[in-house]
Amino acid sequence: MASKRSPLSRLSQAQSAALLLLPFLATYALFLVYPFFRGVWISLHDWNLLEVAFNPDAKEFVGARNYVRVMWGRGIEWSAWARPGLQLFALAGLVLAAILHATRRIGRGPAIGLAAAALLLFVVAGIHAGEEGRWYDRRFWPTVGNTILFVALTVPGVTISALVLAAAMNRETRAMSVLRTLFFLSQVLSVTVVTLIWQIMFSPRQGLVANITELTGGSPVNWLTDERFAMAAIVIPTIWWSLGIAMILFLAGLQDISRDLYEAGALDHATGAKAFWYITLPNLKRTITVVIVLQIILHFQVFGQSHLMTQGGPNDETQVLVRYIYQTAFRDSELGRASAMAVFLFLIIGAFSVVQFLVGREKD
Amino acid sequence: MKHLLTGALVASALTTGAQAQEITLGRFFGACEDAGTDTETSVGEACIIQSIINAADAEIEGVSVETLPTDWGNYYDQIKAAYAGGTPPDIHVMHRHRVPEFAGIGALADLTDDLEAAGIDPADWTESARAAVTHDGAIYGVPMDLHANLWHVNMALMEQAGLVQDGKPVLPSSPEELLEHAKMLKEATGQDYLAADFAQFPIGVRLVLALLWQQGSNIFTEDGTATIETAEAQAAVEAITQLFAEDLANPQLNYADSQQAFLNGEAAVLVNGTWVVDFYTAEAAKEETGLDDYYVADFPSLFGEGATWADSHIWVIPSPLEANDAEKYQAALKVLAFINDHNIDWARTGHMAVRNSVLESETYQSLPHRAEYAGTVEIARDTPPSESYGAIQDILNRELQAIWLTDKPVEDALADAEIEVQDQLDR
Repeated sequence: MASKRSPLSRLSQAQSAALLLLPFLATYALFLVYPFFRGVWISLHDWNLLEVAFNPDAKEFVGARNYVRVMWGRGIEWSAWARPGLQLFALAGLVLAAILHATRRIGRGPAIGLAAAALLLFVVAGIHAGEEGRWYDRRFWPTVGNTILFVALTVPGVTISALVLAAAMNRETRAMSVLRTLFFLSQVLSVTVVTLIWQIMFSPRQGLVANITELTGGSPVNWLTDERFAMAAIVIPTIWWSLGIAMILFLAGLQDISRDLYEAGALDHATGAKAFWYITLPNLKRTITVVIVLQIILHFQVFGQSHLMTQGGPNDETQVLVRYIYQTAFRDSELGRASAMAVFLFLIIGAFSVVQFLVGREKD
Repeated sequence: MKHLLTGALVASALTTGAQAQEITLGRFFGACEDAGTDTETSVGEACIIQSIINAADAEIEGVSVETLPTDWGNYYDQIKAAYAGGTPPDIHVMHRHRVPEFAGIGALADLTDDLEAAGIDPADWTESARAAVTHDGAIYGVPMDLHANLWHVNMALMEQAGLVQDGKPVLPSSPEELLEHAKMLKEATGQDYLAADFAQFPIGVRLVLALLWQQGSNIFTEDGTATIETAEAQAAVEAITQLFAEDLANPQLNYADSQQAFLNGEAAVLVNGTWVVDFYTAEAAKEETGLDDYYVADFPSLFGEGATWADSHIWVIPSPLEANDAEKYQAALKVLAFINDHNIDWARTGHMAVRNSVLESETYQSLPHRAEYAGTVEIARDTPPSESYGAIQDILNRELQAIWLTDKPVEDALADAEIEVQDQLDR
């Protein structure tokens, strides 16, 4: 019997693990690791998409120039009151971190994290072009700002609405399972379909939204071209679109909470909203964090909504980072510059991935 | 039995021997599912071009043509990516303004010496059409049209405002007159005087450019100096903003909405291109549209000189095809010749033909509304050639939108546009 063992079973556990992982690692290296380093390599060159295609020698190594041209300028200064609103907000965050830690409301790790983020915001917000100075690329930072605004509106929107829906539909009735399917359905649509639906919804002439506004006596709004509404016009479809996954995650989290807790709570008169606040939310903390971080990573890569609905307009109000990268690479053929921006985006997303990794590892 | 077998063998050998050259074709203009092969009855850009392509596929012996799926809004991004990936379509359409960018790096086949043999006579092309496909003295494409901005007019509204004389609309000849007419029209009809896509597609840019050229000015010079922060640009922009300020035009309408406003009879004038003349003619004939009496006018001159934005659609072959596959290259030339032969069909869209023999023909001159905008050929203009044309248009579009959609002061927007256009020209 022993002599007839298959060759595989003679391998140690580590060896067979390595063998089984090999196909994945090879694919991963070929399609993710190599392209990433290639991207970094391109970002160090003056690289015209079309020219290099016809003449591979048409690229030129320029070191960090693309990064400087995209992110810096001449006569750039720092002051503590360049953007008082943002900087005061950052200082408030710093104070809040200290207070929360001192009163033992949060642990040391989160306190340091919050303080570091607040300090970073305080410093970054203070950087500005001086009297005679100017940014080399005047669109880059406003575009980053728009992307952050988009994320800041979308993520809480998705999280809160998904949480409320999940809590309301966490029941084993047929109606609820139909509703759960319905709310998840939008998630399966592609971005082109979603944006098409919402462009029609928002149309000031035949759209549903305009019809409702007119019924209630208002005059219809040009959602996509009005500077006050354009960002909302791409945030709302995004929330509608990405609600499903978050809701499913919350439902899974809710089903993990033991019934006993609610029964014990009910004895102490904690039912309804009280039970939600004191039992459900604390037990969902981990799920909520995961959902938030995943959404942040996902929505930093927003492209289709802005590209298809508003074309980044009006006046760049809805221009987002990935669309700017796309335009720089394919409209302007400046692949090096576009890659530099992509590396910047990678760093942002990478930072949040690290946060997610740390949170996932944290023991209760 | 033996004969039958030999016969079958011979037949199969013949078909393989005469296997059709398959030509892939890239184009914008939108999709038309059932265009058929009748090039003389199709309506609208998408269906007319597709019927010509289908006819080429059916009629040219030994050549089959496959239209690739492309999206209008991202057309050039897609084409560039295809070139960069080494798989461009065998022939594709592009604009005159892109020639410097593509021909400048050797991406396009030089057709100069092969046109005659393929049955294309460059001497029959108008001078402007020949210039459209010429780069550094060589011919890189086959022109298909000259297209330009026009004033599409609702005569019923104009009539109510007393702005019709001898069956023609009375159009303004100065910014002051523009405002006056717009006020008259609002008073008489309650409708807007002018509509255009000021919000997304760069029709607003083309409008301002025309007003700039009418003053002998431009946004940058041939030698690459941006000249946007000027009194002329200010005057051009303010000729438009005065209408918004008095609520005589709505800057928030995009392409579809502005077109709908015009077709609903909510605007007397729509500024849009030649490409919609046949479509609006068809719409005006319908009972249900608010547009009944449709007229097409040349872009009026508000400042001295006549000028309107214009461009050309041209067909090109990528240089790698000429270098690597002589037979396929010949097949591609046959398709270009076929398109060139059907210039009259394409002109039905409303575009101006590029062949003198077509322009002089009875059929061309009797196309709907054709005589009304005959003067447009004379005033057709564009910015100086530049490799950054797309990016520059985008900057202008953004800053002009900032003026009319977000109330950015005109001087600030023009100053910002000048800095950014200069950045593009310096890159």
